[in-house]
Amino acid sequence: MSTPLLEIRDLRKVFKDFVAVDRVSFTVPAGGSLAVVGESGSGKTTCARIVTGLERATSGSVLLDGRAGLGRRQRASVVQMVFQDPYLSLDRRQTVRDCLDEVLAHHDRARDRRGRAARIAELLDLVGLGQGLGTALPRHLSGGQRQRVAIARALAANPKLLVLDEAVAALDVSIQAQILNLLVDARAATGVAYLFITHDLSVVRHVCEDVVVMCRGRVVESGPVATVLDTPSDEYTRRLIASVPRPGWTPARAVTRG
Amino acid sequence: MTLLDFEHLGVRLGERPILRDVTLSVRAGEAVGLVGESGSGKSMTVKSVVRLLPDGATVDGSVRFEGIDVHAMSPAELRRFRSRDVAMVFQDPRATVNPVRTVGDFLTEVLRDQGIGRTEATRRAAGLLSEVGVGDAERRLSQRPYELSGGLLQRVVIAAALLTEPKLILADEPTTALDVTTQEEVVAILNEQRHRRSAALLFITHDLELAAAVCDRIAVMYAGEVVEILPAGQLHAGARHPYTRALLESRPGAVPPGERLRTVPGVPQSALTAPAGCVFADRCPLATDGCRDKRPVLLPIGAGLAACHLVREDS
Repeated sequence: MSTPLLEIRDLRKVFKDFVAVDRVSFTVPAGGSLAVVGESGSGKTTCARIVTGLERATSGSVLLDGRAGLGRRQRASVVQMVFQDPYLSLDRRQTVRDCLDEVLAHHDRARDRRGRAARIAELLDLVGLGQGLGTALPRHLSGGQRQRVAIARALAANPKLLVLDEAVAALDVSIQAQILNLLVDARAATGVAYLFITHDLSVVRHVCEDVVVMCRGRVVESGPVATVLDTPSDEYTRRLIASVPRPGWTPARAVTRG
Repeated sequence: MTLLDFEHLGVRLGERPILRDVTLSVRAGEAVGLVGESGSGKSMTVKSVVRLLPDGATVDGSVRFEGIDVHAMSPAELRRFRSRDVAMVFQDPRATVNPVRTVGDFLTEVLRDQGIGRTEATRRAAGLLSEVGVGDAERRLSQRPYELSGGLLQRVVIAAALLTEPKLILADEPTTALDVTTQEEVVAILNEQRHRRSAALLFITHDLELAAAVCDRIAVMYAGEVVEILPAGQLHAGARHPYTRALLESRPGAVPPGERLRTVPGVPQSALTAPAGCVFADRCPLATDGCRDKRPVLLPIGAGLAACHLVREDS
């Protein structure tokens, strides 16, 4: 079998005396799409932050393209991240074009100014932003448009893996649908792989092929999305799935649940 | 019997409209869900019930509670109304509970204000904490908010809301900040306690399925207006307004995996930017010229009410 794009082995992260991530292992194949689901405190965001280099693991290893210990620039050319809140993740004094240009100047050094301008036009197209919005500042953009900019910025470095940490959680339903379609299209167009951190199981079904369920720092279940969500084998996964509101659902207290 | 009645309620801040022509009623003991996207005016609708509107807001129309116009109450009447007849549960329990006082102080404050003795107030508070699933009530009463998890603290807030036996509970996204398993628990408790006490509930959420599970009727808001009202059980089969349909269809669970989600072009409008005719006209896939010129009003259709020129034409 070919080397997975991302391989996490026996990852452990301890904050003072709290074990946030405990012996977590999973892989993302090249061009794949893996969801990490769990509730707050499950360690899913810590995993994402370790993969992107924002946090250092206490022990265990992260292999990107089969290599460990990449430097910052090298790592950034393989992995990029999209955060939850597009109101916080963009520089409010930087226009959309400057924001993308900065990333290109850093990671795509073969291009001159003209080459970069062409690539920016391409990126704006890819994420469905009009060329006219290139000169806009974040405050002129809606939440959905900002998240498109954040996705364009992440894709600018031509990464092989995009880590999306609750990237659609803060958006209104109708905007969330637009961004989810965009993520499906962007993956088809560029072949980028996704590590999708989310608490929303319906989103998982829509954009991911495989899923890892985390609870209190540990992986409790993993496998193809359809298998795990339709025939969950772990008690916690079953509870997670049962508590999602859906047609005909009646909320029940844990003690009274059959 | 109608407990709460919004009649052509309009709220403006200076020249800017926030709510337009909101007409909706809640019967005693009934649960009504207010759903919509950000900026649709659902929070403002609920806040107008207890007169928590921003400074300088002007109000047209009326909000009546048991027939009395809330916006005409004297300060003393308003205070009594807020402390006895109605209770609020907000999204973030940490912003609701005083962080430097104990949970017990928070829970007994209103009862003590009503002249009930400390021992009796504490006994009632402890009893209610057990009812909403907070174990070890005695210990919890002496703890401070930072010692409790978000889910536990929201149960404390619900207990506080129930303590004065209100006739109406206003809940503004009470479970949005909670994990989904905790949400189920908290919603189940809210539901059970509401039924036990026959309190009415006005429940704000952006989650249509959650609203359908908790409420008897659902009112869909868009750009400061109520565009559709329908029985909760009819949400999927009976929704007629194109905006309600669009909301239902754009959820990721609405289509099989791999298929494209149906999206609504554009962004949600606020009352300020909404077009002159139908508020949804510039995003509506079915809109005609008539929709842009003339405002539709809520009229009966099927099992509910909808404000749309088009649904009447085909029926």
